[in-house]
Amino acid sequence: MSSDTKFHVHHDAPEVVGRRERLGVRILIVADASFVFAMVFSYFYLRNLNTNGGWIPKDGHTFSVASGWVVVLPLIVGAILHKIGQRNLKTIGTISIITLVVYLYGLYYQIHQIMNMPFIVKDTGGFEGAYASSWVLIAGANAFHYIIASFLALGLVIRARRANVDPTLEKWRMRTAASWFTWIAISGVICAITTGIM
Amino acid sequence: MSEHNVDLKPTPGDRFTTFLKRKDIRETLAWAAFYTAGFVVLGGVFYTKWMPTSLSTDMKSIERLMVIFTWISAPVCGLVLSIATYTFRHGTRGDVPPEDGPPIRTNFLGVASFGAMAGILTLTAVVYGLIEMNSASEAAAKDAPSALIVEVTGSQWVWSFNYPAQGVSSNELMLPKGQPVIFKIHSVDVNHSFWPVQLGIKADANHFQTTSVTTTPNKLGRLDVKCAELCGLYHAYMETEGAVVEPADFNNWVTQNGGHSA
Amino acid sequence: MTTLSSHVSSRPIPNPKNSLITKLNAGTGLIVGVVFAVATYNLLKGENEDPGIAYNIHNRALLAAMFMWSIGFLVGIGAFIGPWRWLIGKDLTAEEQLYLAGDGQGIKRYFKYCTDHKVVGIQYLWGVITLLGVGGAMAMMIRTNLAAPGGHFITASVYNSLVGLHGITMIIAMIIVATGPFGNYIMPIMIGAADMAFPRLNALSWWVLFTAIPVLCSAWFLGGIPTGWTAYAPLSIQAGPGMNAFIATIIIFAVSTAVAGSNITATVIAMRAKGMTWNRVPIFVIGATISVALAVPAFPTFMVSMIMTALDRTYMTGFFDANIGGSGWLYAHLFWIMGHPEVYVILIPGVAVLMEIVPVFVRMPLFSYIGAVVGFAGIAGLSILVWAHHMYMSGWMPMLNGPFMVTTEMISIPTGLIFLVMLGTLWHGKPWLKLPMLGVYAFLWNMLVGGITGIYLSDVPADNYLHGSMYVTAHFHYTLMGAALTGAVAGLAYWFPKMTGRMLNERAGYVSFWLIQIGFQVLYLGMFTAGAEGQPRRVVNYASQFATANRISTVGAYLVGTGFVVLLWAVVHSWRHGKIAPMNPWGAKSLEWTVPYPVPLVNFDTPPVVTSDPYGYGKAVK
Repeated sequence: MSSDTKFHVHHDAPEVVGRRERLGVRILIVADASFVFAMVFSYFYLRNLNTNGGWIPKDGHTFSVASGWVVVLPLIVGAILHKIGQRNLKTIGTISIITLVVYLYGLYYQIHQIMNMPFIVKDTGGFEGAYASSWVLIAGANAFHYIIASFLALGLVIRARRANVDPTLEKWRMRTAASWFTWIAISGVICAITTGIM
Repeated sequence: MSEHNVDLKPTPGDRFTTFLKRKDIRETLAWAAFYTAGFVVLGGVFYTKWMPTSLSTDMKSIERLMVIFTWISAPVCGLVLSIATYTFRHGTRGDVPPEDGPPIRTNFLGVASFGAMAGILTLTAVVYGLIEMNSASEAAAKDAPSALIVEVTGSQWVWSFNYPAQGVSSNELMLPKGQPVIFKIHSVDVNHSFWPVQLGIKADANHFQTTSVTTTPNKLGRLDVKCAELCGLYHAYMETEGAVVEPADFNNWVTQNGGHSA
Repeated sequence: MTTLSSHVSSRPIPNPKNSLITKLNAGTGLIVGVVFAVATYNLLKGENEDPGIAYNIHNRALLAAMFMWSIGFLVGIGAFIGPWRWLIGKDLTAEEQLYLAGDGQGIKRYFKYCTDHKVVGIQYLWGVITLLGVGGAMAMMIRTNLAAPGGHFITASVYNSLVGLHGITMIIAMIIVATGPFGNYIMPIMIGAADMAFPRLNALSWWVLFTAIPVLCSAWFLGGIPTGWTAYAPLSIQAGPGMNAFIATIIIFAVSTAVAGSNITATVIAMRAKGMTWNRVPIFVIGATISVALAVPAFPTFMVSMIMTALDRTYMTGFFDANIGGSGWLYAHLFWIMGHPEVYVILIPGVAVLMEIVPVFVRMPLFSYIGAVVGFAGIAGLSILVWAHHMYMSGWMPMLNGPFMVTTEMISIPTGLIFLVMLGTLWHGKPWLKLPMLGVYAFLWNMLVGGITGIYLSDVPADNYLHGSMYVTAHFHYTLMGAALTGAVAGLAYWFPKMTGRMLNERAGYVSFWLIQIGFQVLYLGMFTAGAEGQPRRVVNYASQFATANRISTVGAYLVGTGFVVLLWAVVHSWRHGKIAPMNPWGAKSLEWTVPYPVPLVNFDTPPVVTSDPYGYGKAVK
């Protein structure tokens, strides 16, 4: 509809626009990856220093290894579902809804974990030690990943029902979203492995 | 620079002589010699004049290092500044742009020799630094058994010194001449940095981590102890004094302050 | 629906009906932002008998209010209309996008969420001028206080705040000083693009940054910051409420940087004109891209360290609290893993501007283009491996000081290449000594001094003496101010005709140049001497032995300050009354000089095709 205008992005073919958008998102993923790297680095640095025996203090509480993986599972499932949906565009409407539900569940579960952390000191409301601090940072970043993913999944669900969306560009948008979904699944696995080593 | 002709194919020796006879080369070389000499003099004068009296070999070697590094870099300064000065002097002023120069895109010999020079100078600096570091840590290891131990505590905004073997605590840093000393440094609050200026050493004071640093005072004199890490409101005033004294005087000072001489 | 001819000027102003975007501007942003901030603060502020917990709650409310100000401003200016319309499946129409580009809306578009890269470039330019002005005024106060021993001009608490806020203001200003104005205004034209890759992200990066400025200024009213711009923990944990402003500024700025970095990098990779292969890209574009591509992974670590500081201050986590297992070293690592690449994020674009200038004014090709690219890439690559040279004295792991010394000193090799490129281009030339070209000469001297003193500092034994002294302060001002800022000012003189349509007043330009450069040498020669004598940095007061050196420094500082005032006058005056500039006043060969002023909305009427690099100067090749 707008291919006749001389106005910036619109005089480019949808493939070109789509490829460019995916490039931009991938560069942002580099920034996010650096964020995750910094958290993992901090986790192991503090664990290694164990200043004053404060990594996990005596009688300190921890999360089980399994709970770290449970909260990451929806990320992996969501990424795989989205890949399947891309293969067959007819089913995309349905699959996007399932993806969205999976992400929302993951988000709920992550927030639930944060609200029920075992390692808060009763009297002061402070944290028990460095492990607890590092854990909550990683969990928070994971929740942030879930929020962005839910936003993207919700958009894809709504847009699949709209007629006025350029289908070629939309296909690229799905691939762009897939870059993010794949990355957060990888990051989730990295975080689960990290928090599993206490 | 249109007068030089690149099409001739003379022998390398001839080319070098013609090269040296060129007017632009001569002027540039003269500037290079001028600037190099200038930096050699500057390096020799500036640091020896302004750095404080050295009371240890560490400080002496730092002073020497600053001078030698300036000398090493003097030819680089000469090269850069001579070309800059030459072209600046022969530049075009006014509102009319100059004619285009020769379309030189690169010059293999120039790039290669420049790269090699940068590499060699860097390597020199690295090797020199590593040797100095190594000799300092070797000396520290050798001196460890006979060393005087001083526990340094940084707190906002006071330095305090404890001599455990002598049983003395003080806010001024007294050291006997000629005896190696190990400082064990920590902080009770935020980060500080222990800096006995004339000894040429420095180490941060961290909370819950002890750092240590070693030196041997080899001259008598006054010591300034400062904090070199911003530590809050009165960071600027977190300083104290001290002295390197004869061993006998040090023992007197210990006994006067209620300790027992070792 | 809309068919646009290429007659840009005769085009009617698009007016999308029933669209919210026509009603939003910085004013609505301000209102929504303030409402959000005040509401959040009042909602979260609470009282507690325990002073420790009250401190935490107060910090929470302040931090949340600051973030909500930023978000509210962006909501109010319409930054989220695009994502919202994407979400509900009603993408912005071409007409609406055209409206957002602001064509024909006059001066109003500078106060709107405008996607035109040329508008964003001018917004960045004034943002930079504002930040440099504020930071410079702080520097003048610092130097006035240090003019004589005693430190009676300002109190210790104000002084410490000044040091920190001067630092962070200047760091932010210097990060965007070249990539902001020139990277947004000039660079897309240089590569023959119609716009940036993501015009809305472009507007977002500027307005996000804009929201950080009031947050940073609020630090003054919250008691200042006591930590210096490095904000070392645990000092930052015990600091007062002003620290929250610092934390929020950094986090907001990091978002802006990530967005801008992604946009600029994608633009250069994907939007180059036909025929502009990688070896034909102007060197400024290469430098700016390497710089932002380095910033993209570097800044998130700073953001993490600031989030940790915020959590320690609000929810009593223990990242930096040694009582419960934290460590100040962790902060230093995260900070410098960002901090050392960051100085090259500042330096590289400034140098690249000068490299763009040299061939034009010497009328010769850039000498060893490949050397310049390798130099920039080498600096960027090595810069991520040198961070611990800031921590030689911290005691975190003395055995690694040697390796970090080696990587640090290796940076001299790519830096040498940068010099080689400049000198090689100058040699055999008769440079046209206009204002931009003078910057090249100032750079050669300043970077020489900055570089060589950097070698002393990178050497562990010498750093034993110099670390934390005024010598360090003088060194990094030589590199960041003497080299990078000189490059940016030269770039302003060079591109001023394209950005404003007028020539920068030459006489005032020369006066300011010599005032700044001579004052600069006086200022930092004094500071090098004070450092060599043993004066620590960041001190409100000093012993009388340092008095002469400091007095000389202060005199130099006033000269520099006067020079910048003259420059500001020249910019403002020339912007309105300057001589009308021809299309290509310097006779340069890069693409930005082929478009008229005002630059049309899509930059080029017909997309350009590039057949050579822009350095084809020189008499005919035989």
